[in-house]
Amino acid sequence: MNLETKRKAESFIALTLSGLAAAVGLFWLVYILGDVLINGIGALKPSLFLNDPVPAGVEGGGLRNAFIGQLMITGAATLIGVPIGVLGGTFLAEYGRGSRTARAISVLSDITVSVPALVVGAFVWAIVVRPLHHFSGWAGALALSIIMIPIVLRTTEDMLSLVPWTLREAAFALGAPYYKVIIQIVYRGAATGILTGILLSMARVAGEAAPLLFTSFNNNFFSGNMNGPIASLTVTIFQYAMGPYKSWHEQAWGAAFVITLFILTLTIVGRVIIWWRYKR
Amino acid sequence: MDNSRKHNYFDLLFASVTAVASFTVIIFIIGIVAVLFNESSLAIGRFGVVNFLTSTVWDPVKGIFGAATTIYGTVVTTVFALLFSIPTAIGIAIFVTEIAPNFLKTPIGVAIELLAAIPSIIYGMWGLFTLAPIMSRYVEPALKASIGKLPYLGFLFQGNPMGIDLLTASSILAIMIIPFTASIARDSFNLTPSVVKESAYAIGATRWEVVKNVVLPYSKLGIFGGAALSLGRALGETMAVAFVLGNNHRIATSLLDAASTITVSLANEFTEADTDLYLSSLYYLALILFVMSFVILAVSKYFLLKAERKYSR
Amino acid sequence: MKRVLKIAVFVLAGMLSINQAFAVETLNGAGSSFAYPIYSAWAYAYQKVAGTQLNYQSIGSGGGIKQITERTVDFGASDLPLSPADLKKSNLIQFPAVIGGVVPIVNIPGVKPDQMRLDSQTMCGIYLGDIKFWDDAQIKALNPTMDLPHNEITVVHRSDGSGTTAIFTNYLVQTCPAWKDKVGTGTSVNWPVGIGGKGSEGVANYVQSTGYSIGYDEFAYAQQNNLTYTQLKNPAGKFVSAKSETFEAAAKTANFDPKDDFNLMMTNAKGKDAWPIAGGTFVLLAKDKKAANIKTAKFFNWSFTHGDAKAKELIYIPLPKSLKDKIRAYWKANGIHY
Repeated sequence: MNLETKRKAESFIALTLSGLAAAVGLFWLVYILGDVLINGIGALKPSLFLNDPVPAGVEGGGLRNAFIGQLMITGAATLIGVPIGVLGGTFLAEYGRGSRTARAISVLSDITVSVPALVVGAFVWAIVVRPLHHFSGWAGALALSIIMIPIVLRTTEDMLSLVPWTLREAAFALGAPYYKVIIQIVYRGAATGILTGILLSMARVAGEAAPLLFTSFNNNFFSGNMNGPIASLTVTIFQYAMGPYKSWHEQAWGAAFVITLFILTLTIVGRVIIWWRYKR
Repeated sequence: MDNSRKHNYFDLLFASVTAVASFTVIIFIIGIVAVLFNESSLAIGRFGVVNFLTSTVWDPVKGIFGAATTIYGTVVTTVFALLFSIPTAIGIAIFVTEIAPNFLKTPIGVAIELLAAIPSIIYGMWGLFTLAPIMSRYVEPALKASIGKLPYLGFLFQGNPMGIDLLTASSILAIMIIPFTASIARDSFNLTPSVVKESAYAIGATRWEVVKNVVLPYSKLGIFGGAALSLGRALGETMAVAFVLGNNHRIATSLLDAASTITVSLANEFTEADTDLYLSSLYYLALILFVMSFVILAVSKYFLLKAERKYSR
Repeated sequence: MKRVLKIAVFVLAGMLSINQAFAVETLNGAGSSFAYPIYSAWAYAYQKVAGTQLNYQSIGSGGGIKQITERTVDFGASDLPLSPADLKKSNLIQFPAVIGGVVPIVNIPGVKPDQMRLDSQTMCGIYLGDIKFWDDAQIKALNPTMDLPHNEITVVHRSDGSGTTAIFTNYLVQTCPAWKDKVGTGTSVNWPVGIGGKGSEGVANYVQSTGYSIGYDEFAYAQQNNLTYTQLKNPAGKFVSAKSETFEAAAKTANFDPKDDFNLMMTNAKGKDAWPIAGGTFVLLAKDKKAANIKTAKFFNWSFTHGDAKAKELIYIPLPKSLKDKIRAYWKANGIHY
C-alpha cells in the first residue's frame, strides 16, 4: 500500500514536471510572438512600406527598399534553388534509387541543411564578391540557394518515393520512356508534397541574415539592381536593432513582425497542405 | 524505331541532368572546404594547428591570432544552452506523447514547430530588447547574491550583471533549440511500439514508470541524435547570440562576462579585417567551425539513422 | 511542369531586365561609422539634387580600408589615415572630408551631459580595468562635488575595426604609458575589459541600455541620442566641454598636407581650448577605379560647397576653404577631372 502510494506520487510529480516543461516551452513562444506582435503592430504604418530610409537620426522614413530587396533575393534564390533541388531529388528517388551514391548524397544533404549559414556567406564572398569586385543581390541569392537546395532535394526525394512503384510500372507497360513517366506521372502524383517542400524551404531561407551580411550587403536606397548591393529585411533588422536610434528600433520591430508573419504563414500553409493531402 | 532512339536519347539526357543536380550538394561541400582551406592557408602556415587552437591571444594590432577564446565561447554557450534546453525538450515530448489529452496534442505540437520556424534574428533581437534588461535587472543580481556566494559554484556568477553576457546568450540559444530537440524526441517516443507500452500498463505500471522504463530506453538513440542535431545547430548559430554576447575575445570564467563565438567574430570582423593575415585567420575560424559542426551533425545523423533502422521494423 | 518552368524563366528574365530599368546612377561607399551620420545626411540631400544615390554603409573604418583594398566598393572611408607607403602599396589615394570629436559617453543615473570631468589617466585606468568603480578615488578627485555611486563600471568599446577606436587609442597611447605597453593603437585592439558594440551605433546602444556604463563615440551619436557626454582635460591642463568651439580649436592646429596624402592625426592638439580627442575622417579611392572616382569627387565637391550647414548642425567641423581647394587640386593631380 505504502509502495503503491509512493509510486503514484512519483508518477504524479514526474508528469507534473513534464507538464511544466511544456508550459515553459509554450510560455517562450507566447512571450516572443506577443512581443513581436505588440511592438510590431505599433510600428506598422503605411510609411513603413512606402518610404525609403532617411538619414541616421532623422525621424520618419520606411523600409520599402528592404521589403522589395528581401522579396527579390528570396525570389531569385528560389528560382536557382528549386530546379536544382527538384531535379537532384529526382535522381535520388528515380535513376539513383537505392544506390550507394544516392544514399550518400541523401545523408550529406541532411547534414548540409544544418551547416552554419554564416560560413556559406563567407564562401560566396570568396568565390563571387571578391572576384567580381562588388557586393550583389545575386551573390546573396546564391548563398541562400546553397542553403535551400538540400532542403528541396530531400523533400522531393521523400515525396517521389511515396508515389507507388506500381504506377510507374503501369506506365512502362504502355511503352512510355522513364523520363516521360517521371515528368507526366510521378511529378503529378507528388506535386503537392514538392510544393510544400518548396514553401518550407522558402520559409527557412527568408529568415536568414547571416549569409547575406557579406554577399548582398545593404543599401540605404531603393534598388532593383541585383548586380549591386541590395537591402534585405534581415540585415536591416540587424543594423537597426543594434543601433541607438529610437526610430530604428521601432522600424526593426515592424520589420520583425512582417517577416515573422510571412514565415509563419508559409510554414502553416505548408503543414496544412501536408495534412490535407496525406492525412485524409 | 526512330522514336525509341529519340526516347533513349532524352532519357539519358534527363538522367544526366538530374544526376548533375544531385551532385551539386557534394560540389558545394567540397567547394566550401576547399575555399575555406585555401583562404586560411596563410594563417595555418603562420600559426600552425595546435598553436592556433590553444592560443588565447586575438590581437589585430600585433597580428597575432588564436582560436581558443572563440572556441571556448562557442562551446560554453552551446553546452549551457543544451543543459537548459534538453530537460525542457524531453518534458515537452513526454507531455505531448503520453499525458496531453488528444485534442491538445496537435495544437501543442504545431505550436512547438512554429517556435522552430521563427528566424534566429528575431530571437536575437528579442534577446537584446526584452531578455537582456530582465536578466541584468532581476535574474543576474539574484543569481549573484545566491549561487554566487556559494563555495564551488560561486565563480560562475561573478562580476557585473549587465545582461550582455554568456548567460543571456545561452538562454536565448536554449529557447531557440528547444523545439528542434522536442520534435525529434517526440518522433522517437512515437516509435515505441504501443504493444510494449500496453503490456507494461497491463501489469500495473504507472505512467511515469512506463515512460522511464519503456519509452525512454526505447528512444534513447533518437533523443541522443536529436540532442546532437541541436548541438550542431547551436554551434553554427550567429544572429541569436550576436546581439547579446558582447564580443569579447577573452576566456571568461563567469557566466556574467561577455565573450565571443566563432560565428559572432566572423559576423563582426569579416568585412573589416584589414590585413591578409587577419582575414585568413577568420577563414581559419570558419574552417574550424565548419569541421566541428559537420562532424557533430554527421554523428547526429548516424544515431538518427540507427534509431530509425532499429525500431521502424 | 512545363508551365511552371516557363513561368520561372519568365520571372528570371523579368528580374534581369529590371536590372536595366532601375539603372539609376549609384555609388557604393563603406567604412567609418564616425562619419555615417553626416555622410548619410549629405547622401540624402545629394540624391535629391543630382539624382545619384550614394549607398554608404557604416561597417567600421577597418572595413572601409579592407573593402576598398579588395575593390568591392567605390570608395572606402576611414578615420585612421593611411600612410603614403600603405596607400602606394594598395594603389589608393586619400583625402579628408570632415572633422569631428570623439567624446566619452556615460550612463550613470543622475549625471547630466557635460557635468562629469575625466582626464586621460582616468580614461586609461577605466579601459585597462584598473579603475573598477565609479566612486574610485581618481574619479572623485576630478569631481569633488559629485555624489558618485559605488557601482561597477561597464566598459563599452567597439567590436569591429574602427577609426574611432584608432583615434581614441592614439589619444591613450600618447598620454598613458601603461596603455602603450599593454594594448597599443589601431582600428581593432586587444581590449583588456568590457563589452564590444558593433559600430558607433552599437556602442551608443549598449551605453544607452546598460546602467553605469562608459563608452566613446563621435559626438553626433551623443547629440542625436541625448547621451551623457563628459568633459575632458586637455594637454594644456584645462577641462574643456565637447562642443563645436573646442573641436574647432583642435581642428585649427591641423595642417593637412597633400604631399603626404593628408595623413594626419590631431589627438592631444595644442591650444588652450582644444578638445583632446578630435580627428578627421578620410575618404579612400582606388586609383584604377576612374569612373567611380569622378562620381565620388563630384559628390564630395557638392558636399564641400553645399554641406557645411548640415555638418555644423551635427557638430562636425567643416574643412576650411583653403583645405578644400587643396583637395580639389589633389583630385586633379591624380587625374580625377570631376
